[in-house]
Amino acid sequence: MDALSAVLQGLPMTIVLTLSAFAIGIVGAVPLAVGLSSSNILVRLACRLFVDLVRGVPIIVWLFLLKFGIQIGTFKFNPVGAAIVGLGVVSVAYLAEIYRGGLQAVPRGQGEAAHALGLTRGTTFYGVMVPQAFRIVSPSIATYLTGLLKDSSIASTIIVAEMVFQSQSFARQHPTVEGILPYILVGILYIALSLPVAYLSRRLDSRMRKAVYA
Amino acid sequence: MTLSEIADGKLAPRLGIKLDNISKRYGDNTVLDDVSLHVEPGTVTALIGPSGAGKSTFLRCINLLERPDSGTIQVDQHTIEPGKDVNSRDLAALRRTVGMVFQSFNLFPHMSALKNISFPQQKVLGRSKDEADERSMQLLERVGLKEKAHQHPGRCSGGQQQRIAIARALALDPSIMLFDEPTSALDPEVGLEVLAVMRELAADGMTMIVVTHEMQFARDVSDTLVVMADCRIIEQGDPRAIMSDPQEARTRRFLRAVLER
Repeated sequence: MDALSAVLQGLPMTIVLTLSAFAIGIVGAVPLAVGLSSSNILVRLACRLFVDLVRGVPIIVWLFLLKFGIQIGTFKFNPVGAAIVGLGVVSVAYLAEIYRGGLQAVPRGQGEAAHALGLTRGTTFYGVMVPQAFRIVSPSIATYLTGLLKDSSIASTIIVAEMVFQSQSFARQHPTVEGILPYILVGILYIALSLPVAYLSRRLDSRMRKAVYA
Repeated sequence: MTLSEIADGKLAPRLGIKLDNISKRYGDNTVLDDVSLHVEPGTVTALIGPSGAGKSTFLRCINLLERPDSGTIQVDQHTIEPGKDVNSRDLAALRRTVGMVFQSFNLFPHMSALKNISFPQQKVLGRSKDEADERSMQLLERVGLKEKAHQHPGRCSGGQQQRIAIARALALDPSIMLFDEPTSALDPEVGLEVLAVMRELAADGMTMIVVTHEMQFARDVSDTLVVMADCRIIEQGDPRAIMSDPQEARTRRFLRAVLER
């Protein structure tokens, strides 16, 4: 089927975009989340400003700005680079906010107990706070990942050849009823990709719950 | 083996602690007004008084979970002035010397009982996992919870969790133990198992400071009874003497309320 093979051509790019941006976000959000709950008001304000700025502007605008608005010497973003950086930075901001919520949801007594035992700040953070916060936020992270998967389609607007871009070009070449076909297929593919994420997240969540209460 | 023989396998020295002129305010609200308390090595001090008197805040000032605005804390060779900058070495020394047990236990829910006790030993004292686990098992056995070693706190009753929390604090060989209303979150029957462990610890000569509403425990176990009200210590001395013949009207009122219910 022509429509299917056209859409499938975009599948690897969709996956690359999603996973790269997610990887950037997962790692980059850690220092930002720490900054968001810093006791230093300047650090906290700077981080808050960054998060609100990034989240306040639609992804499509960021992608256009990165693709067409940035030129440093001879350096310009290629479409894929702009898409990965743009989606990555947006992910950093959203995930940092999710992490911060998780860290704040850990009961205050946990940090106090750790301090009273004489654990260092680093050990308290990575050994006590983060593992508990992760249990709290893992469903939210999975939800964000499925959202990101679908948002990666916005990269089609800056000519990144992912699934929606391929659907559009197929539709343009087949201006008949057949032109609607790739969109149906791409919809099904997005669902097919999100289901395992949701499934794995639920499995992980219930396994961690069992670990704590078993 | 007694609890404290296990607790001080490396013979943690018996230490007292001196707190002088501790004051603490939140904004305009004074919570501790020039409070001084000297605790002799190997004694049990019970802190009682109406809620809002500043008992818990005072206790939390001792290991600097709350930072007093002024005053001095003397323990071992260290003198700490919390109103000024406290260097991290003094803070670490203070926290190594002083163990704490909380009203809400505060066990780490993502670790088994054993790991709750072993993890701080590995991180703070640098013990190997095997050494730490061995010590943890001794302590768990002493508090009667050896069979709970591999369970997570969520599967333990409140009384069991509190006994695990006591074992966790003892595992770091503290010289002084602070108890912040250790039985207040437990129903009375379950509280008894925790009090039993504390009595044993006291009998072994651990220096203890206990914020409590358990008047019988305060009377029978403590060497010094300290009554706090309105951000100050209003009376201190022999527990039996104070309970039978309080000097202050405020103490009398408080004791009548708690003893005659």
